[in-house]
Amino acid sequence: MAVKEIDARGLQCPGPIVEVFKAINALKPGDEIRIQVTDRGFLEDVKTWCRKTGNVLVSLEDGQPIKAVIRKK
Amino acid sequence: MQKYDLIVIGGVAAGTKAAAKTRREKPDWKIAIITRDDDVSYAGCGLPYFIGDIIQNRGQLVVRTPETLRLVHSIDVFTRHSVLSIDREKHTVSVQNTNSNEKLEFGYRKLLLATGASAMRPPIPGIDSERIHTIRSVTDADAILAGMGSKSGRAVVVGGGFIGIEVAENLKHRGWEVTVIEMLPQILPPFDLEIALMMQKHLEKNGVRIVTGACVQSFCDKDGGVEVATSNGAFQADIVILSIGIKPNSGLGCDSGLELGCRGTIRVDACGRTSDPDIFAAGDCASTFSVTSGNEAWSPMGSTANKQARAAALTLTGTESEFPGVLGTMIVKAFGFSAARTGVNEREACESKMNAVSVTVPSDDRAHYYPGSEKIAIKLTADAETGELLGCQTYGMGAVDKPLDAIAVAITMGATVHDVAHVDFAYAPPFSTAINPVNLACYVMQNKLSGKLESIGPVEANCMIHSPDWDGLLLDPREIPEFMIGTVPGAVNIPIHEFPTRLAEVAAFKDKTVIVVCNYGKRAFEAYVRLKHHGFNRVKVLEGGTKFWPYELE
Repeated sequence: MAVKEIDARGLQCPGPIVEVFKAINALKPGDEIRIQVTDRGFLEDVKTWCRKTGNVLVSLEDGQPIKAVIRKK
Repeated sequence: MQKYDLIVIGGVAAGTKAAAKTRREKPDWKIAIITRDDDVSYAGCGLPYFIGDIIQNRGQLVVRTPETLRLVHSIDVFTRHSVLSIDREKHTVSVQNTNSNEKLEFGYRKLLLATGASAMRPPIPGIDSERIHTIRSVTDADAILAGMGSKSGRAVVVGGGFIGIEVAENLKHRGWEVTVIEMLPQILPPFDLEIALMMQKHLEKNGVRIVTGACVQSFCDKDGGVEVATSNGAFQADIVILSIGIKPNSGLGCDSGLELGCRGTIRVDACGRTSDPDIFAAGDCASTFSVTSGNEAWSPMGSTANKQARAAALTLTGTESEFPGVLGTMIVKAFGFSAARTGVNEREACESKMNAVSVTVPSDDRAHYYPGSEKIAIKLTADAETGELLGCQTYGMGAVDKPLDAIAVAITMGATVHDVAHVDFAYAPPFSTAINPVNLACYVMQNKLSGKLESIGPVEANCMIHSPDWDGLLLDPREIPEFMIGTVPGAVNIPIHEFPTRLAEVAAFKDKTVIVVCNYGKRAFEAYVRLKHHGFNRVKVLEGGTKFWPYELE
């Protein structure tokens, strides 16, 4: 399993979710993305995006920054 | 007979303000406050938060006690005293002590009526149930708290106005199941529909049930609770809060032959004088004026009461002072979502046939990277020709009061959007954005007034795309993942960077309406400019974007 780290701190919407989208396309099923984000819109966006795409939101931590782990389906 | 220089009838906001101001102007006057209530000078606006346990101590709601008024201000305070009548000729009032039933007579030189307003209790069958409460005084709040006890249960709030929404939020805080029943098609009637719908969505997200367009037909005590029968079904409640409106307590003024004004208020001039030059009125029982139209108006707000009472106190002590009236400024917050308004809204401008233009402009309330930054939307309404500001509504999870207050000042001064567009507002990341939200909203309005931007609000857009005649295009120019997260139902996605190669796919819509939708409207405007350049003639930006879209996204 590969892990892709993304630092999206300081990026405004839509930057963070576009980064996730690009990274997911380059990964294999079961691989993970670990991302750090400061844009608060990401909290809701990442939940909805995972629900709609079937990728797994392994964890989502609200803080400064927001931290999320996403596993490719 | 005891004689006073000033007798004030009523002791909440206007009454105590007028008495205290009179004392500062006239250290030697004999002043009395007469009230039928137990308390004076309490913060009536704080009552919902007292029920919600946000304010835990009853004493915090009381600004001044009768003792403070007596000792510090040398004002005689008669609580639990009811004024039976006024003899304008003899300059006397006859009063009854409601504890002892003793009758008294006092003489006055000047009289100020600050009798307030009362909650409406229409003659609906079963309305006298002891489980049905109104919320005006601290005593009302005491009764509600006693009725709630320590357990949680089901509450029905009748009326989705400002107080109804605040009460709903606070009951929910206490762990109660809450249903709000509103007779009109929307909650918060002083706002345009999309703003009321955004608030409704937010309340529902926080577990409050909202039923609009429902008329209460009866109340019926049943199984230890109340059944509330409405035109939209029946609801079971352990407690009912009625917040369907108030009416001015103008009975005493009316019985004394004073002229009445709009909505049954006691008519006063800008200085607070009634039709009797020795009798003044202020606060919820009195009329005022609309600053924008100049018409008589009623503004039963704690903020208005204080200003009106100050002007009246100055005038009756010899310094003629005018309170010119109100803009109809109001603000409300529930579960972190706030909405504020001033001046006229789009619906009111349309109803009074003003030649007005409105535009909604979202913004960050402070630098987007600064912790705690939240989104707000500013909806401006301005004169289509001159750009004179007519009204403003602000809403969202962020600080909405700051831009609203700035616009309230601008409207009061008769400013245009062009004047306000360049105002030097305070900026540093913790406070605002480099392009201040008010400056930004004015820029967008300037674009709209000059024809550089054509845009459409969400309510009109929703009507348009659901109309059987709709043959236009909803275009989403955002990146693919954003489109996937949520867009307006029916939108087609062509990311803006793919325009050069993909606009041919939608060439059939060059002479049809194209509504462009993005998160907030900014990228939609970029797309708008490009589409216009490529020969699309009827392009409109969706104001507020998906983030302030009050309906479902897909």
